[in-house]
Amino acid sequence: MRKDPISLGLGERAVSRNPEDVLVAYGLGSCLGISMIDPQTRISALLHAVLPGATNGLSASDPNAHKYVDTGIESLVDAVVKEGANKARLIVRIIGGANMLISPGMANSFDIGTRNMESARRTLQRLNLKIAAEEVGGHTGRTVHVYVGASRVTVRVIGEKERDI
Amino acid sequence: MVENVPFDQDLLEKLKTIASEGISNAAHGFSGMVGRKIEVSNPALKLVPLLTIPAMVGGPEDDAVGIYLRFEGDMVGQIMMIMPYQKALELADLLMDLPNGTTQRMNSMERSALGELGNMCGTFFLNSLAKLAGASIMPSPPAVMVDMVGAILDIVVATAGGISEQVLLMQANFMDGPRSVEANFWVIPDMNALKNLLKKNS
Repeated sequence: MRKDPISLGLGERAVSRNPEDVLVAYGLGSCLGISMIDPQTRISALLHAVLPGATNGLSASDPNAHKYVDTGIESLVDAVVKEGANKARLIVRIIGGANMLISPGMANSFDIGTRNMESARRTLQRLNLKIAAEEVGGHTGRTVHVYVGASRVTVRVIGEKERDI
Repeated sequence: MVENVPFDQDLLEKLKTIASEGISNAAHGFSGMVGRKIEVSNPALKLVPLLTIPAMVGGPEDDAVGIYLRFEGDMVGQIMMIMPYQKALELADLLMDLPNGTTQRMNSMERSALGELGNMCGTFFLNSLAKLAGASIMPSPPAVMVDMVGAILDIVVATAGGISEQVLLMQANFMDGPRSVEANFWVIPDMNALKNLLKKNS
């Protein structure tokens, strides 16, 4: 029997090296999914971040750190390295960051999606990590799966099939 | 669930009165617009944690329709009406006086019908609230979204920023003769502002 995927809610993350594991973040809107895979050890991780930055100086070890893109990414890198991944080998993908409100008058007033994306790019650059692939922006929600055994990452939007990125 | 809420029963009762007055005005307004009598059941009102919403609408990846408005003025907040995609199609049929199962897709006509419904319900609720509190509250035009539940709720979550982790849930049934469709509204006000506003005037 196939194992149920490990579903990540808002502000949650998972790290796994079990080839049977599938990590998933369902229905990302303005939220950002950040996946990291070390292809050699197959250590894989996924973060479901909600807001661009911790405003009150949270450290990466704070339990709320995963809610924010900046502290969440730092904490995720620490966690995969601790698990045995090599930071230099990490393949990083970012997914989500859509602007869900496209009504006139509301459109750009608080575009958290774009700010989440910018925060991710800034944080990853600061940590010397390159983004291997991204599926971001636009106006649609996305579901992201990370298949640990196959080192695969897929994205699905409403009304479409899952596809690799 | 209600015990650990920084919110007293009195306030909830007061909001219930506001909600039922608001919703019944909305039903009245809507009936006038479509030229048929659309009734709305007395709405149920409760406080629920924000994070339980996806499960109540199906699941975070399920297709859903969201109608969203924000309000400003003496009180700031947002209202989201969200329903499973299938329910939205039924509601569109009911509003447009079509046999059940006629509407298969959410096109611009259906979106605008639902947008108007959300708009009326939201605005009438806010009007009742403003009247009781003697405050000035201005709603934005509605935005209608068809997407995954999680993605629609991100709007609310990101804007609330986890500050108000409890939201007001208003459940009402829209009825046209024997047909009935249930809809849920989530009102996410600035809780402190709401408390002060209603306390001042009680």
